Amino acid sequence: MAIKTIVEALREAIAEEMRRDPRVICIGEDIGVEGGWGGAFTVTLGLAEEFGHERVLDTPIAELGLAGVAVGAAIGGLRPIADVQYGDFLFLCMDMLANQAAKMRYMSGGTLTVPLVMRAPVGSTRRGAQHAQSLEAFFTHIPGLKVLAPSTAYDAKGLLKSAVRDDNPVIIFEHKVLYGSKGPRAVEGAISAAGEVPDEEYLVPIGKGVIRRPGRDVTIVGKLLTVYRAMAAAERLAQEGIEAEVIDPRTLVPLDKELILESVRKTGRLVVVEEDNLTGGWAGDIAAMVAEEAFFYLDAPIKRVSAPDVPAPFAPVMEQFYVPSEERVIEAVKWVMGQK
Amino acid sequence: MATEVLVPPLGATVDTMTLVKWYKEVGETVTQGAALFALETDKATLDVEAPASGVLRQIMAQPGDAVKALTPIAVIAAPDEVLAPSTPAAKPAAVAEPGVAAPPGPSPSPSQAARPAGGRVFISPRARRLAEQYAVPLEALSPSGPESAIVERDVRAYLAAQPTPAITPVARRMAEEAGLDWRQLTGSGPAGRIVQEDVSRAIEAMQPAPPVLSPVNEAIQTIPLRGVRGVIAERMARSNATTARVTLTAEADATALVALRQQLTQDGVTVSYNDLFLYILGRALREHPQLNASLEGDTIQVWRRIHIGLAVDTDRGLLVPVVRDADSKGLLQLARETQTLVERARSGQCSPAELSGGTFTLTNLGMLGVDAFTPVINLPECAILGVGRIKVKPVMVGERVVGRHMVWLSLSFDHRLVDGGPAARFLQRVTQLTERPHLLLA
Amino acid sequence: MSDTQAPLLEMYRKMLTIRRFEERCNLLFMQGRIPSTLHLYIGQEAVAVGVCAHLRRDDYVLSTHRPHGHAIAKGVSLNSIMAELHAKATGCCKGKGGSMHVGDMSVGMLPAIAIVGANIPIAAGLALANKRLGTDRVAVAFFGDGASNEGAFHEGVNMAAIWDLPVVFVCENNLYGASTHYSKVSKLENVADRACAYGIPGVVVDGMDVVAVYEVAGEAIQRARQGGGPTLIEAKTYRLCGHSRSDPRNYRSKEEEAFWQARDPIPNLAGRLKAAGLVTDEQLEAIEQEVLAEVDASVAFAEASPSPEPTDALTDVFYTPQEA
Repeated sequence: MAIKTIVEALREAIAEEMRRDPRVICIGEDIGVEGGWGGAFTVTLGLAEEFGHERVLDTPIAELGLAGVAVGAAIGGLRPIADVQYGDFLFLCMDMLANQAAKMRYMSGGTLTVPLVMRAPVGSTRRGAQHAQSLEAFFTHIPGLKVLAPSTAYDAKGLLKSAVRDDNPVIIFEHKVLYGSKGPRAVEGAISAAGEVPDEEYLVPIGKGVIRRPGRDVTIVGKLLTVYRAMAAAERLAQEGIEAEVIDPRTLVPLDKELILESVRKTGRLVVVEEDNLTGGWAGDIAAMVAEEAFFYLDAPIKRVSAPDVPAPFAPVMEQFYVPSEERVIEAVKWVMGQK
Repeated sequence: MATEVLVPPLGATVDTMTLVKWYKEVGETVTQGAALFALETDKATLDVEAPASGVLRQIMAQPGDAVKALTPIAVIAAPDEVLAPSTPAAKPAAVAEPGVAAPPGPSPSPSQAARPAGGRVFISPRARRLAEQYAVPLEALSPSGPESAIVERDVRAYLAAQPTPAITPVARRMAEEAGLDWRQLTGSGPAGRIVQEDVSRAIEAMQPAPPVLSPVNEAIQTIPLRGVRGVIAERMARSNATTARVTLTAEADATALVALRQQLTQDGVTVSYNDLFLYILGRALREHPQLNASLEGDTIQVWRRIHIGLAVDTDRGLLVPVVRDADSKGLLQLARETQTLVERARSGQCSPAELSGGTFTLTNLGMLGVDAFTPVINLPECAILGVGRIKVKPVMVGERVVGRHMVWLSLSFDHRLVDGGPAARFLQRVTQLTERPHLLLA
Repeated sequence: MSDTQAPLLEMYRKMLTIRRFEERCNLLFMQGRIPSTLHLYIGQEAVAVGVCAHLRRDDYVLSTHRPHGHAIAKGVSLNSIMAELHAKATGCCKGKGGSMHVGDMSVGMLPAIAIVGANIPIAAGLALANKRLGTDRVAVAFFGDGASNEGAFHEGVNMAAIWDLPVVFVCENNLYGASTHYSKVSKLENVADRACAYGIPGVVVDGMDVVAVYEVAGEAIQRARQGGGPTLIEAKTYRLCGHSRSDPRNYRSKEEEAFWQARDPIPNLAGRLKAAGLVTDEQLEAIEQEVLAEVDASVAFAEASPSPEPTDALTDVFYTPQEA
């Protein structure tokens, strides 16, 4: 057992899976270049040295193409881990992910599988609107795609390994601020999401969430960075006698619904926190599901804490306003409790 | 000059009453002294007259709502008179720029959110469930939740704060009449409420049965057995003497029916439970014609058309005006017709034709607090359905105890004409339609 | 190559099968018996057949919204295609794909991809897998002139080129991307001229001559199999029918259509076979009857097949190990 950052945990996961199964390859831009960075956030650093450039494939800047090649490779019998350097670039791959990877099995009447993994970093980090978006909601809406959002090093490693072994297309979102990258690719203002990662082999099952902090007064559901916002808010709320239960679903599709519903049946109150624009976002989907399935257990309206419906701004003061803060979570909790 | 109509303090022991129905609709002309609405108190249902003439411009309560004495319930004014706004409108959130939502600032603090006086109760689903379970009157709760809504802790606070043991009005009346201090009693009802059984037991324990020799008594009223009274007396006696009367009872879960009526009311369709039961009976009798029959001499006539009499309690006694072809009428039509018939019955305006020709009778004592009873068959008909009060009771649904609106249905039928089996099946169908009113559309 | 070396009679039979199958689909559609839309391959048969004659069962073919010809050439059964068009549970996609997605992995035909150009990078990916797994399987992507302007074409061909992937790109230039003439969407005469942008060979071939296609395809597939990387083949061909069923073809002149009608690959090959003494009229007639019987049988099979259950819509989204 050792303390590892999310980057280290992901790198280990990929290396272990590549050692275990010769069909696993990486496809991405700048991932295996000698003397290079190991991808935009150093996740693949050192892998080309161990596995060679045939298995750690550097592509031209062609996201649509690399996603398509990854889809074809997966159908053809490999187990590719593709990645884009910034989640925002996924829009360039949408056809390959939404129209091809997600639908191929269905359209074939169940006669083929697409064991593809796509990795994408998300989150605002003062790089401007086109390098900042959270895209989970676009993908949770696509039938045929599994969506993961690990927020700790332990979960990152365990979920990525599970994703590689899953025979379905899986997209895994990683938050830039939580990576803990070192060197020039380090993110300013990073949160330490480093944690204990066992040395021995383990997997985190896809489709199971976790209660990060038990409580009886309100349920707070977050993902990626906002899990940390929720935890920080919960600490402060506890000093005022409000015990918040913080849930980290870890997998967005398939969602561990029962974990959330059971919690709401107990607390009667729900706050969903996301770093993503409010309208059409993931929090709305969670809220609708709970309103539908646990309405009579609710003691207050469900509150969403999201980014406003604007592109991500650059200036630090604006970015701090954009990304849901600990204060906004506390405010939302107090509102559903009926307190000022 | 606009007149604010207040809820008259007509309750004997209660401050809060139930609005039963409006006799006028918003926009209609009202005359001072004419009946404007019906109010159910702890003792009876009473008509309240309009205190002024004019046009009914505003009403602040819907049938079924709890209303407090001396609070405004309506406004009568001239048709074109400008009325002062009754509630402050909620202001929309400030908009930063057209097309873009304002940045999410602090949410409005709960106590500042405006709430219109009278009318809708804002309560969380969780709290409402709890309140229903313990029959807590919603207007007695102080809201502490977001947006001034009543939340669970408010209901719990109320339940915990009940100082003296609660007592049902019936039990209280009984205790007072017997000269018993009910505050000494322990209640066996929900939340420790003192109920009728508790008082009965206490009375029995209190004193031995009085000697049979009663002292000479003095009449405070002398009523000749003539007119309506005489007719009723004669018919009741004949009915009980000649019919082989059997009463079947069934308890129906009227939760869906209550909800349906609320939904209709929300959409401006005001119907009474009698109307709903007439509708249900129309359907059920069509399917079970054996119950739509009469004995004439020594022949049983099973009738084609379904005419249902509605028992009406009037000053002069029980009258039963008849709703003809009840099975071919829509709910709204039934409601209008019953309203007219009841008014005419109460004001003594029914013709003999309107009071005869029935093939089945409906009698409803629910509003007087009766659960189940053994109605007397209205000769020459075959059967009569008695409806009791709709009351929220704890009921098993699956493995959980939930509060449901339960109602007793009491079907008296003449065993000379119809056997227990068919009668029971008819009652079963009535029960089913009461419990699952959506089947009326099938 | 002499006429006796190419498997001409087999190719003739295959082309005729595609032709009669497509004609029957057209008829059935007009009679309202197929709920599908249709993009018929009539006139282009020589390309599918000439290329697929070189392919093994385990080679891959990736097709487009106009896939029936490729599917039949690759060996997908008529029964399963016809049943799929009839939306039956016995269809090659269990009724979940429809006309534009017919395929059969067991004979190496992927469910066709209806997004124009998308099959190109995916074909490169399949070729990547083949190479990585050490097989000598090849992937062939068929697409039209319109697809050559999609970004996916550029990215996919380029990646196949830089990694020398065992894939052949076959562009069927039937002069129209839907209703737009090719000359309006490119300054080049030939799609194959673009091959130099990727450093790979580009070949133009008469797509109405199945023997010519057979020769050119043979070279390209051989090159791919032996690790020589991809080739871009452009077959000049023509749709002897509309783009889809609802196309009255008013954007094409009657003269142009007559010109291409005269170059119909099937009667032309028949003539050539007879001239070379390889086939008699009686044999041609026999082949005609056999093909019609097969097509009839596929229709009968489709009509007799059960429909899927409505709730079948919920299955086959994800693969879960229990299904294995």
